[in-house]
Amino acid sequence: MNDPVVRLSGATKAFGKHTAVSGFDLRIPRGSIYGLLGPNGSGKTTTIRMIMGILLPDRGSVELLGGKPDFGRRSRVGYLPEERGVYEKMKVVDQLVFLGEIRGLERRIVRPRAMKWLERLGLGEWASKKVQDLSKGMQQKVQFIGTVLHEPELLILDEPFSGLDPINQDVLESIVREEREKGTTILFSTHLMEQAERLCERVCLISRSKKVLDGDLRELKRRERSGVVAVEFDDDPPRVSWPGVSAVEEAGTTLHLSLREGAGHDEVLAAAVGTGASLRRFELLEPRLHEIFVRHAGSDGAEAGGLGNGGVR
Amino acid sequence: MRQVWVVLRREYLERVKTKGFILATLGVPLIIMGLMAFSIFMGVRSERSEREMAVVDFTGGALAQDVAQGLEAVGYSVEIADPAAGAAGLDQRIEDDELAAYLVLDDLTVTDGTFVYRAKDSPGRMFSGLSRRIVVEAVLSARLDAAGDAAGVRGLLGGGEIEYEPVGLGDDSDDPGASIDRDVSTAAGMGASILLYMTTLVYGTYVLRSVLDEKRNRVVEVVISSLSPWQLMLGKVLGVASMGLTQLGIWAAFLGLIAMVGLPVLVANVPGTDVSQIIQFLPGPGLVLLFLLFFLLGYFLYASLFAAVGAMCNREEDAQQALFPVMMLLVIPFMLQMSTINGSRMAWVDWAALFPFFSPVLMYPRAVAGDVPTWMVALSLVLMAAAIAGMAWVAGRIYRVGILMQGKRPTLKELVRWVREA
Repeated sequence: MNDPVVRLSGATKAFGKHTAVSGFDLRIPRGSIYGLLGPNGSGKTTTIRMIMGILLPDRGSVELLGGKPDFGRRSRVGYLPEERGVYEKMKVVDQLVFLGEIRGLERRIVRPRAMKWLERLGLGEWASKKVQDLSKGMQQKVQFIGTVLHEPELLILDEPFSGLDPINQDVLESIVREEREKGTTILFSTHLMEQAERLCERVCLISRSKKVLDGDLRELKRRERSGVVAVEFDDDPPRVSWPGVSAVEEAGTTLHLSLREGAGHDEVLAAAVGTGASLRRFELLEPRLHEIFVRHAGSDGAEAGGLGNGGVR
Repeated sequence: MRQVWVVLRREYLERVKTKGFILATLGVPLIIMGLMAFSIFMGVRSERSEREMAVVDFTGGALAQDVAQGLEAVGYSVEIADPAAGAAGLDQRIEDDELAAYLVLDDLTVTDGTFVYRAKDSPGRMFSGLSRRIVVEAVLSARLDAAGDAAGVRGLLGGGEIEYEPVGLGDDSDDPGASIDRDVSTAAGMGASILLYMTTLVYGTYVLRSVLDEKRNRVVEVVISSLSPWQLMLGKVLGVASMGLTQLGIWAAFLGLIAMVGLPVLVANVPGTDVSQIIQFLPGPGLVLLFLLFFLLGYFLYASLFAAVGAMCNREEDAQQALFPVMMLLVIPFMLQMSTINGSRMAWVDWAALFPFFSPVLMYPRAVAGDVPTWMVALSLVLMAAAIAGMAWVAGRIYRVGILMQGKRPTLKELVRWVREA
């Protein structure tokens, strides 16, 4: 049970002169929701393709479910690639049956299962429509059903949320959580830090083909102290100069104060009390994932890929 | 193997269900049947009215009898009109559509061989040639009679048969075409050759499209995570083959139907034909089997090429360019075959037919016509099978790497690397 579901050791993959993934070590324990985070072009998809045995590493080794990613093992995985496609001219249910069948399921088992999933995701009446008649979001749900249809023990989802509206993102999130409850391990990649923060138990941050850091998310947050203090007042916050603070952001009656390197929050608290204003809350904020990422990869590493969203306010 | 079957079935069902397939499969034979029925109908109708003829003979000899006999032999009904009654009555009967035409024979006919043809329309080419020969023969015969040469020279008039003596081919008594008239077998082989060329091209293009589509709509990565590229390619190629065989089967059934219904009608209505004469145009079971062999081997050989080309391209326009060498492989033998359309032969083309990529288009018609010994046909089949094994290996490797490649088409050097490293 403690064997990792996926293990990469020193995996390296280059395309021509460009190194997509370099010396990557990764260990994904069974039964967790694992997030692979990084800006676009940082090597997430290449890593996932190596895990799925679609690409072979130039150096290093890849282990999937305790061995080489051969077809037997791959069929125990539900894989939703980033470049996901559909047979546009096929009927929705036929498409799902096909996807189930190539993973070794019997036809008579797949069909009712596919129908159940379609009903559940509100696509029941679309079952015998052609896929091309569905909206993009609906197609994406169909693709997702195709990934979980054979009840895999590991789900690998490459940017599963991109292109979904908030409501459907929530639907997908709750299904991912449910699968996790059933004991399925889930690996997903995203460039949306907020999403990962909500969903993941463990994360791995990648920047420029290299792993930046990985581990349990809560532990990481505890270890990586935030540099931001939130101070809330009953009325409008007083305007004073805060000791050891590099930036002040005002949001209603709350101030977010970013501490300088090495500065303590005690002086800030003293200063806040010293203003005489009535204080409602004083909190050392948990660091946001984005902040941790920037701290370790450098802001250019994050910004380069357009990782602007979900950062510190 | 189960996976291959799943891919095959999807490919087959999705293809057979398309409007294009149904239209081509049922529409083409229906249109051909319609056209044939129409032309037979028109032919029969016009034959009917044109078959009533008259001959007016002003020479006073036996010329009219001879000409009438000659025309009746090719299916016309001819009455010999009384020259004393004049031509006016006959003209009236033509106006009333009781008579198609009449021939006027006079002294000029005896001296120059000219005669008058009176009808609403000018005579057709067929009739011109036919009547000319009949009249000239009748006149010659009459003159020979007058000259007292009843037996000697006259025999020549019935001559002109060709006796064929083959040179340099040895004695091949088991030639499939030995018993069949050479013209017929050459034509049949040519038709089959064109059919093989067309089907290979069309079904190969289906394979190419199918590969390109999966790449374009990015479904391939999902599929490839559950089965090997090789299984996918095999299933696809077999699926299109099944579709092709279905189509050919339906066409063959239609052809059989046409033959069964159409032949008796044709024989009953067109003078000078009988069933046995037409039966020999129909291929025997051995040749049909051989056709299927050449079709399947040729298809698999080219399908793997088309699949490889599809895998290395992303857009249809790219594929058009990359397809050029493949097209050359198909077009060159086709041109060679067309250059022998008049039945002439070149020994080196017989040898070129052994080249696996040329075999379907070149070797099959030669086998039908019995132009090449049996061992050459057998050898070409063996060579094709070997070439398929080699091609499938190379194509499978290109396919494996290619289907996940987006962007630029690989150079030849990169391609070699794909094949080596895959």
